[in-house]
Amino acid sequence: MAAGSKTAEPELRRSVTPWGSFSWGYSDVGADIFVGLGLVLAWAAGASNVAFLFAGVVYVCIGLAYTELAATYPVAGGGQYFVMRGLGDIFGFVAGWAVLLDFTIDVTLFAWTSVDYTSQLVPSLVNSVHPWLHFGVVLGLVVGLCLLNVIGVRESTTFNGVVSALDVISETCILCFGFLFAFRPQLLVHTMQMHWPSSYDLMLGTSLAIISFVGLESISQAAQETQRPASIIPRTSVSLILTILIFALAYSNLALGLHPWHPITDAAGHPQQFWQIFPNNPDNQGKAVALLAAQVPYYGAFAALYVPVLGAVLLLISSNSGVFGSSRIAYAMSTSNLLPSLFARVDRKFRTPVISIVFFSAIAVVELIFAAAPALFPAVSSLYTRFFHGENGLDFLADLYAFGAATSYSFVFLGLIGLRLTDPLSPRKFRIPLNVPMRFRGERVEFPLIAVVGFIGIFSILMFTLFTHPLGRIFGPSWLLLGLLFYLAYRRYRRLPVLRSQPRDWRNAQTEILRRAGELELMDEYVANVKASDARRAGQGT
Amino acid sequence: MLFFRALLAVAMVLCGLVILVRMAQALPAGGFAVLPGIVLGAAMIALGVHRLSLIARVRGMM
Repeated sequence: MAAGSKTAEPELRRSVTPWGSFSWGYSDVGADIFVGLGLVLAWAAGASNVAFLFAGVVYVCIGLAYTELAATYPVAGGGQYFVMRGLGDIFGFVAGWAVLLDFTIDVTLFAWTSVDYTSQLVPSLVNSVHPWLHFGVVLGLVVGLCLLNVIGVRESTTFNGVVSALDVISETCILCFGFLFAFRPQLLVHTMQMHWPSSYDLMLGTSLAIISFVGLESISQAAQETQRPASIIPRTSVSLILTILIFALAYSNLALGLHPWHPITDAAGHPQQFWQIFPNNPDNQGKAVALLAAQVPYYGAFAALYVPVLGAVLLLISSNSGVFGSSRIAYAMSTSNLLPSLFARVDRKFRTPVISIVFFSAIAVVELIFAAAPALFPAVSSLYTRFFHGENGLDFLADLYAFGAATSYSFVFLGLIGLRLTDPLSPRKFRIPLNVPMRFRGERVEFPLIAVVGFIGIFSILMFTLFTHPLGRIFGPSWLLLGLLFYLAYRRYRRLPVLRSQPRDWRNAQTEILRRAGELELMDEYVANVKASDARRAGQGT
Repeated sequence: MLFFRALLAVAMVLCGLVILVRMAQALPAGGFAVLPGIVLGAAMIALGVHRLSLIARVRGMM
């Protein structure tokens, strides 16, 4: 065993506190509701809270799965590492490639909505009024974040913590004032009964609701840089999962049952409910939380001034995590021979993976051009209307975001089941509940029922996405297919197993992972488990 | 600080209970419509209890 072995490689690990770990995840996942709320209200209408409920239940299952996996295997590779280890190289590549799609979309989508939130205070940035200016500012943000990551400037954990704390306090205040002074339960029931959407729109809304819960990769990234992750990660993850779920359900219920502080009317002067300002209005969809905050009695006068700024900052942090995260996932995939070593190359001057950062930022810019094209060029707009149900830029980005998330999460559930069966010896300080004990290849294992429930849930969301998103069902699978072809060609070129996995010494790898994480008790337990298993097998052999 | 955090956690459990009770009262009229609200209340109670258990563990270590 390599328990005591020293390595010459520089270690990424640093001391992240429990709050740092929570805020790291929160600044990533917490920003999603700022994007998802308006989109879901636009399509799921009176069933928006049900769409969030369905996606939220699936998200809780995903969150628990990530918590168990990140606490057991605290490495930054995240989903692709778990899937590669549980199911094999090719599945690990597909999961990682889907995560990379999500990270590149993350960069564009969150920079886009960051500008939308800013437009609440700076009207000249409204996309429908000045599309070229909107495009230019989003492009400037993406390029700026790329440059910051190239030269190695990252927002500090302290900055993340302060913004997250401000946002938790702010959202709690908005919801408290909203539920106390503007929420009408009868209006909620009335809205749900009178404005229940068609099955198609409900499926579309539900598939969009999952984008409010994307970013759980940050749990594994935090695990990589947290001391004693097996103890810390479950504590912070459960809080994070429940906080995000509460905010999503509370916002959607409040939006449907909100009695606006100021009367809202349509173009003809007829009174409208709050949620009715979102359908067919992409400008409003991109800044839903700011609009809702402004409609909360008393507190809204103050919230209208700062929520757009806070939202814009939080979204920009999330956008930055896309630039940083994509380069890190590409680095992890490259070191596992799933991508060329080019992506793991670190620049001598800046000591950052410049090629990875520039490559995936360039993809984000291409996605931005596709998203902005209908607003910039009328000819493209008519093309989108004819072939893609008239989807706008925000829809395009949300489609792909939902597709990438649903695909990678589906594989993570399968990876969890695979690891429970093939690696029962690794100590699991946190296990998702509801397990069925059984024997597999001579070892006692526990089959996770929640993973099956979660897989069915996320797979149905993936089907909803493919069925209801005209752009997502073309560009999403195309991204996977292109990546798969590239992977097959690369593995063949490198003379590595193409469809099968490269042989790896997972036992030594696991010991080293636990040693680096400072989980020495778990490392000893793992070594003891391995020895006992080997002795048992030797006894059976004789 | 620990006392303040415990107070917040208790407040969260109480808020969750209030939501749960109010939603349960609206169940005959609202039917399926109150389900997201019931889950919201349950999630708030779960988060409050989780925070309290963490605080109790820290208190046990002190």
